[in-house]
Formats: sequence, C-alpha cells, structure tokens
Amino acid sequence: MAAAAGILPGHKLSTALGLLPGLRACERDPAREARALADLACWSGRFTPTVSLAPPAALLLEIGGCRRLFGGIEAIVAAVLDGCRIQGWSADWAVAPTPLGARWLARAGAATSYESLAALQAALADLPCAVPDWPAEVVARLDAFGLRRLGELSAQPAGGLRRRIGNGPVDDLLRARGELPDPQRAFVFPERFAAGLELPSRVEFAEGLAFAAQRLFAALAGWLQVRQMLLRVGMLQLTHDDGSTSALPLRFGEPCADEGRFMRLLREHLSRLQLVAPVEALHLTADEVVARPDASAGLFDQALQGEGAAACIERLRARLGDDAVHSLALHADHRPECASRSDDPAGIFAAKAASTATFGKPRPLWLLPAPQPLAEHVDGPHWHGPLQLVTRSERLESGWWDSGEPSAVGDLRRDYFVARTGEGQWAWIFRDAQGWFLHGLFA
Amino acid sequence: MLPSVAAVDLADVLARGDIWRGDALSGLPAGTVASGYAELDAELPGGGWPCGNLTEILVDRGGIGEISLLLPALARLSDEGGRLALIAPPWLPHAPAWAAAGVAPERLLVIRPGKQLAWCVEQLLRCGGFAGLLAWPDAGIDARALRRLQVAAEGQSVFAVLWRSTVDAATPSPAPLRLTLAAGADRLALRILKRRGRPASRLLQIDIPRPGRKTRVVAGPAFSAADAGSPAVAAVA
Repeated sequence: MAAAAGILPGHKLSTALGLLPGLRACERDPAREARALADLACWSGRFTPTVSLAPPAALLLEIGGCRRLFGGIEAIVAAVLDGCRIQGWSADWAVAPTPLGARWLARAGAATSYESLAALQAALADLPCAVPDWPAEVVARLDAFGLRRLGELSAQPAGGLRRRIGNGPVDDLLRARGELPDPQRAFVFPERFAAGLELPSRVEFAEGLAFAAQRLFAALAGWLQVRQMLLRVGMLQLTHDDGSTSALPLRFGEPCADEGRFMRLLREHLSRLQLVAPVEALHLTADEVVARPDASAGLFDQALQGEGAAACIERLRARLGDDAVHSLALHADHRPECASRSDDPAGIFAAKAASTATFGKPRPLWLLPAPQPLAEHVDGPHWHGPLQLVTRSERLESGWWDSGEPSAVGDLRRDYFVARTGEGQWAWIFRDAQGWFLHGLFA
Repeated sequence: MLPSVAAVDLADVLARGDIWRGDALSGLPAGTVASGYAELDAELPGGGWPCGNLTEILVDRGGIGEISLLLPALARLSDEGGRLALIAPPWLPHAPAWAAAGVAPERLLVIRPGKQLAWCVEQLLRCGGFAGLLAWPDAGIDARALRRLQVAAEGQSVFAVLWRSTVDAATPSPAPLRLTLAAGADRLALRILKRRGRPASRLLQIDIPRPGRKTRVVAGPAFSAADAGSPAVAAVA
C-alpha cells in the first residue's frame, strides 16, 4: 500500500506522510526481530530438526527427510502455514532443492514447490535480476547491461560476468541453481528455553492472554520436540504496565510436550486469575524438563483412548486447587488419625509394591475428621439410640513423640470398640478419660 | 393389479433414522464386574455391576455396610491395576481398612470438588483413566447433570456409583441401575428399583462381612462399677 502510494526507501518520514496521510510508521527493532525469528525457529523444530536462520526474515526448513513422516510436501507446507497463521505471522514460501533458490522464490511470492532441479532452474530464470541480497550497484550494472531476468544472466559467459560484477553474485546464482554446494549453518536449539513476547496492546483481562501466550507455547512445544524433552514445570511471567511482574507457575501431573495440553492448563489457570494491573509483556521459561522416555509408536492405528488420568488430574487440580485432589498412603502408625496420609496424586501412576501393613483388629473404612463426643446414658453411650458393643476393647495408647507439636495427634490412651446402633449402623467408638467418642464407621 | 412400487433396497431402509431394528434395542452393558455376591449377581443384568453406566445407590445412613457391598468389586478392579476415585466422600477414608479390603490406597484418589462435583465427575468419567468412581453428590443434583454424567460414562469402562438419598427414589433418573439399601436385622436389605430388562421386585438379603463377632455381645468395661476413676461413671453417678 505504501509502495503503491509512491513511497520509496530513503524517503523522509515527512515526505512519506505527505504522500499517504494515513501512514502508520513503526520503528524497526532488530533485536526483537531476531528474537521473534529464533522463537519461530524453535517452533519449527516440530517439523524438522534441521532449521537454519536466514536473517532478517527468512527461515529455512530442511524437509526432504521428513516427507514420509508428515505424508508429503503439501502436508508439511499446509501445517507450517497453518501454524504461522495461528501465531499471527504471514509467510511467503517456496519449496526448492536449494536453500538459496527457495529463499529467492519465496521472496518473489512463488508459493509453489519445485521438486526437481530443472523445475527450480526454470522458475529462477523468470525472476528479475534485482536480487535484494545483492549490492545496489551490482543490480544497477546488470540493469545497464540490459539483463532483466536471472535466466538471461545465467546465459552470460561466467568469466566476463565475474570480472564485471564480482564473484559474490555469480556464486550466489550458481548456488541458487544448484551448481555450487551451499551448506547451511543449522540453528542451534537453545539449551534452556526462554521466550518473551511484548503484547501489541495492554491486556486487562486474564483470558485475553491465552491468545498471545499461544505463540510462546507453540515455540516451547517445538523446542521440546527437537530436544526430545517433556515439560514438568513451566513459568509464565506477566509484566504489568506499572513495571511489576507476577508469575504463573504451570505444573503438569505427567510431563508432556503437547501444545494443546499446555493451552488447556493455561486456560484453567487464566480463568481463575485476577490481574492486578494490565499486562504488557509475557515471558515463558521451561523450569523443569525431563528427558522423553523412548517409546515406539504403534505400528497399526490404535483405538482412540481418552486423554488419560494424568491430564484429567492436572485439570482438576488447576481448577479445584492442589489440596483438593490427593491419593491415599499408608503410614506405619498405630494411631488411627496418623495411619493414613494424603499423598501426591502422581503416585497413582507409580507401580508400587502392594502395601502389606494390616491390623489384626477391624478398622473402619471411614474416619470422622475429629472424634465426635457421644452422649452417655445409664446403658452406655448413645448415638442414634443406644449403642451395642460388639467386640472387646482394643487399647491404642501412647504417641508422646509428637505431643506438643502443632496439629499433631500427640499422646492418647483409648479403648476402641465396634458398636451397633439400633438402626443397623456399625460404628467404631472409643472411650478415654474424657468419655465416649465416635471415631469411625464400618461402611 | 397392484400399483407398481419402486424397488427400495433393504439396506437403504435400515439406514433411515426413524427405522429401529428390534434386536438393537436391548444391549447389555459394555461390561460388568462381578459383585462378589452370587445372589446379587443373579439379579444384576450381565451378571455384575455395570461398567460404562451410572449406578445409583440410594441409602440414608452411612455405616450399614454400603461400601462393603462394593468392596469385592472394587478390590478386583484395584487388583487389576485400575485406579479408583472417591469424589466428595462424606468422611475421611481410612487407608488401612481400604488396604485390608484389597483396595490399594496408592491407586485411590480422593477429591474434594466443593461445588463443582458434577463437572469433576464428568471429567473423570470422560478421561477414561479410572476403573471405578464413587461420588456423593449433593441432594440438589438435577436430572440434567445426571444425564450429562450418564452420557459421559457411556462407552467408558468405568464402574461409576452415585450415592444418593432414598428421598430421590421417586424422582426419575437416567441411571440404568438404581437400588436402595437398608439395614436389615442381620443383613443388608437390597431392593433393585430399576434395571435393564424386566423389573425386579424381590427384596434381596445380602450377607456382607461385618467386623467383630456377631454371635456374642460383649459388655464393655465402662459399666463396671469397680472402675471408680472413670469419668463416665462419675457422670452417671
């Protein structure tokens, strides 16, 4: 649009505004551009491990080796473009046997894949000689020679051309045509993942962050894929407009590398988050990663299964809070309050040896949160009517070692009985110095 | 002469949405897990507790042996490596007792969902990673929520039990199996309110294991007057 209005590089801003009054000028920030390109390179790790940066704005993916995996070049291209679109990038692309040829064609807006060298050379022949990478004087000289297309240029005798425009452009042309080798320096995926993003406008509602964060999580998923890692704990840092930051830790019950799961968990967290101030920037780090255990994919299509218990527990914990979900664990203690403990729910995935600790005497399935005092009448304790004792007493006593500690059970001296109510309930009651108490139910 | 009717393929007719095949109506539940009580298995469709369907058990008071009725099935599920979940249990589960009954405590998840029980149960049913769920919904759970849960359970191999009060016996429920429990003289009285297949009206008397010795009632030491130091006795006096 700017070019159509007659604005050319080298114009002053005032001239440009004069030509197009509605022009919105943005300052370039090369550092941010480089960061964005690196993030995009991380993300594209999901497609191929061989990624090269071609600054300022090009990314080279070597996809020859992954055609089978994705089901053809078209599928890869569609997935890449789709991912770019979701992250809010627009991309020009071309697929070609040589990296430089692909770059030139992409920049010319080819949006086609050229699988053979001959097709590539034919396509290159049609490109104009004004290659942006070449110095302006070279382009001007070629124009003065009357050479308009690269095809005409490559038809010239190489020796004379080298003398006139230098070695660089001629070598470039040969590399693009596949006549000179053109090894690329591969992008090194960083050892630790950290990516930041400045939001284009301040976000005041937590839910609004999900879209922006998606770009970061997409990069993270690609990085995990290349590094063959799984994420256990991540940290999303929100920078507010008053300069303060707040952290949003993301904990996964089972380490994973799936972008969809990252986003689901993030949405759960965001739906509960109250922003103290509008957010200006996001920063994502992978705090704890574990190596991905190697497992072969199924040879045949496996039956579709549910998302599994781990993801479900994660979601429950995100919404209900960490304390609301736990598994049980036995603890070797004779005091009933101490004999069972809450455990991390991740324990339900560990194949542990079956617990063997059992008591000779009956133990109830339910325990009251605190012993409930029972009314006492002439015929003994009452709970929904008189209680009938069914067993002899079982004495449980001692516990001096943690008496006096806060929230510890401490010392006790109790005689436990199994008792029945007139309504058929089986209760576990005890008597101590304070009287009778109901402590459990044999459900 | 008969009017000529365009020949219609039988397969086309069967594919129509408003044509039902007689033999497709009554399907057995996705799977069952034996309850461990022969007289009960004989009355349950498929010969055991249904998996992939909601089971409602209506009981008014806890402690009459309602969990013990399920324990053989839960122990079997747990023994096969299945994960169990208790959602909003009325009291605290006591791990040694569950372990002694054969339910591995480390594979037993306890969830306190607060107000979000229906959402929570639905997530657990849908994820397909659990073999058994016991949930204690509020009295106010509505038919819509129950319908959602039943749909979520369908097709999953999960033994899902909702504990409700006998007050709800008269209100319709989408659960295909509903039964009420009451404490009998010595046994558990079980009545199947609703099941797939012909209705059952017989009251079942289930003999479930109970703690202690049944035959003899033992007087506790609390009543001995010799125990003069006992505060209980002091209170009586």
